[in-house]
Amino acid sequence: MRDVYAIGIGITSFTRLEFPLSEIAAYPVMMALKDAGIRKVDHLYVANMGSARVNHQTGLASAVVDTLSLTPAGAEVIENGPASGASAIKQGFLAVASGMHDVVAVTGAERMREVNSLEATGFVATLTHPLAEYIYGVTLPSMAGMFTRAYMEKYGVTSRHLAMVAVKNQDNALLNEFAHIHQAITVEGILDSPEAMTNNPYVADPLRFFDCCPVSDGGASVILASRQVAEKTGRPLVRLAGIGQATDTHCVHEREEPTDLLAVRRAAAQSFEMAGVSPSDVGVAELHDAFTILEIVESEEVGFFKKGEGHLALERGETRIGGKIPINPSGGLKGRGHPVGATGVAQAYEIVLQLRGEAGKRQVADPGIGFTCNFGGFGNNVVCLTFAREN
Amino acid sequence: MKRDIYAYRCRKCGHLHYPYRMVCAKCGENEHNEFDPEPLPKAGTLLTFTELYALPGDFEVPTLGLGIVELENGIRITGQLRIDEPASGMKVIGEVEVVRNEEYEKYYGMVFCEA
Repeated sequence: MRDVYAIGIGITSFTRLEFPLSEIAAYPVMMALKDAGIRKVDHLYVANMGSARVNHQTGLASAVVDTLSLTPAGAEVIENGPASGASAIKQGFLAVASGMHDVVAVTGAERMREVNSLEATGFVATLTHPLAEYIYGVTLPSMAGMFTRAYMEKYGVTSRHLAMVAVKNQDNALLNEFAHIHQAITVEGILDSPEAMTNNPYVADPLRFFDCCPVSDGGASVILASRQVAEKTGRPLVRLAGIGQATDTHCVHEREEPTDLLAVRRAAAQSFEMAGVSPSDVGVAELHDAFTILEIVESEEVGFFKKGEGHLALERGETRIGGKIPINPSGGLKGRGHPVGATGVAQAYEIVLQLRGEAGKRQVADPGIGFTCNFGGFGNNVVCLTFAREN
Repeated sequence: MKRDIYAYRCRKCGHLHYPYRMVCAKCGENEHNEFDPEPLPKAGTLLTFTELYALPGDFEVPTLGLGIVELENGIRITGQLRIDEPASGMKVIGEVEVVRNEEYEKYYGMVFCEA
C-alpha cells in the first residue's frame, strides 16, 4: 500500500444553512482544493446519510461533482449512518493507497434543518432495528438515555460529569468560528439554578437538553493524495496513518455487557495498530460526543483512560485544551454541531488543522499524532482514524 | 387474543436469537430457515430505562417509558414501560400490545408493567 496524505481541508459553518444540499457538499471541496493549491481530482466521495429522505434528492454525488465542474471524475455517495464521514475517508484512502487514484476529494454534507427537529430525530431513528427497536419509539437519545443510566449505576458517573463535558465542549466551540453553538454555559446554570428545569429540560432521562448535540446543517472536506502529490503542495505533511473499523450487534439489548462499546474498542485498536502508535502517543483527539456520556465512555474504550475512569480524568481537566489529552478542541458534536454525514470529515478537518499548527486560539501544543472516532448507529458501526504529522 | 413475541432457536446448536437472524450467531449454521420460532417469556428484570420527552412525531403522548428487560430465559428485549417509578433491577411482567400506530399499520410489541 502507498502512503496517503491529507493535503487540503475545507469546512462550512455548522448551523442552519439556506443553500441546496449539493452546494453545502461542494463549498468545502472548493475550500479544500484552494488549500491544497490544486484544481482537479481523480475521484469524489460524498458522505451523506439522509438526502433521499430529508431533502428528496438522490444521486447526490453526481450533483456535487457537476456543481464543482469536476466531471468526468468518478463520484459516489457513501452512506454509513453517522459514521458516513469516516467511511468515505476510508474509501478515499483505499483508492489512493491501492494506486488506483493519485488524488481524491472526500466531502461530507447534511442538511437536516430542512425539516423540523421531530422529523430529523425520526429520520436518524430509522437506523435502529426496525422490528425490535424502532417500533417502540426508540430514538438515538432514548438509547443514549438507557446507556447513561446503566453507566451511572455501574461506574458512578453523575449528571455533574455530563454537564462538565457540555461546558468544556461549548467553551471550545467559542474558539471555533465555524461551530454551531456559540454560548457559554456553566454547570451551576444548567444543573443547580432555579431555572435549570426550564433551560435544561430532560430529553431522555437522565440525559438533558445540554447533554445532546444540536441538529445541524453543514459540510466538510478533505483532499487525500499520494506522497508525490503531497510533496508538491509545499504544505505540512499530514499522513493518514491508521484506519480501524468494527461493527457490533444491531440491537443494543443483545450486547453481553450493556455498558461496553466493543466496536469503539476494536476500531480504535485496529487504527492504532495500523499506525504503529499507542493511545498514549496521541496529542489531540476528536471523539463522537453526540451525547455527553459518549465522550467519557469513548475516551476509555479507545484507551486514553481505564474503563470507568474517564469521568475522573475529566474532573482533573485532562481533556481540556492544555490538558494531558485534549478532546474535542473544535467543540465536538456538542459544540461544533452534528450534520450526520459531515461529522466524520469535520473531525478529520480539525485534526489536520491541529497537526499543521493552524488552529489559532484553540491550538493544542505540538500534538504530533491526532485521532478521530466516528460512531455510527448506537455503536454498531464505528470508524477510527489516526493521523501523523511528518515534517 | 393472547399474542407473543418470538425468538428463533437454531436447529443445529440450539442457540436462541432475538431478533431473527438468517445465519446462526453461534455456530454459523446457514441453511436457510433452520430456525424454530419459540415464544418469549413475559416475566423478567428491568436492566435499564429512560423516560423519553422528545418523541417521534407520530406518538401522541407527552412522554414515553422505554427499557431493556432481561427475560426469564436470559434473552434481552427492548420494550415500552407502563411503570410510574421504574428502577433498575425491578421485576416486570410484559404483555404484547399495539406500541405504534402508523397511518395504515399497527405494530405490536412488548409493554412491561411492575410484576
